[in-house]
Amino acid sequence: MTKKETAAEAANRRRPTMVDPLGSNSEIGRKLKQYYDELVSDQVPDRFAVLLSQLENAEPVRKKD
Amino acid sequence: MAVSAAFKTDLLGAIPSLRAFAVSLAQNADKADDLVQETLVKAWDKHESFQPGTNLKAWLFTILRNEFYSQMRKRGREVQDSEGLMTARLAVHPSQHGQLDLKDFRAALEQLPEDQREAIILIGASGFSYEEAAEICDCAVGTIKSRVSRARARLQDILQISGEADFGPDAISSQVMGSSAA
Repeated sequence: MTKKETAAEAANRRRPTMVDPLGSNSEIGRKLKQYYDELVSDQVPDRFAVLLSQLENAEPVRKKD
Repeated sequence: MAVSAAFKTDLLGAIPSLRAFAVSLAQNADKADDLVQETLVKAWDKHESFQPGTNLKAWLFTILRNEFYSQMRKRGREVQDSEGLMTARLAVHPSQHGQLDLKDFRAALEQLPEDQREAIILIGASGFSYEEAAEICDCAVGTIKSRVSRARARLQDILQISGEADFGPDAISSQVMGSSAA
């Protein structure tokens, strides 16, 4: 079977030790990244910045009594 | 010792990744944000145990993961239904022309046991090396490899994907390929 070599295949050929079963050649790998990138780009609620500011402003003392 | 401003900035910067990992683990947005909150508080409290120059993201992921499993143990593993109900409820359409619906993918991911899901997320999406993932999950590199491989096989099975090589890369995937740790 002959087919054109794609860019990613060429890249894998150049780096044979780095063949990645979850790389861009893999449908699973691509969906996984799409799934995750969507989560990463989700807007971060303010509560976390507020929380860190509260922690920052709190007295830096040991909590254990 | 006071927490440095740089540490706070780094924590802020890590939040999007932490949330993504938390959702992947907990499969629930509210629980995920609670996990992130708990992680930030813990990280703040024990900031002195973080060694500057090492991977902060990996350190934070480790804290979040520990928190997740300790909460799960407390709740008596309520979510352990990786084989039964979900499978029956899920209707997956065979992928056509290699185009797989993200919704289907999410549902398939949900069916994986936690250990496999976290492994494939850490390696395939978060951009960690096998060594880093092994450290985060406190297990051997070989264990991570086998979990990733089982997760991948399971996903292929659920989604009825075969002949992975048939799906050539497209413009999006070449972009994605360039991005590593998110």
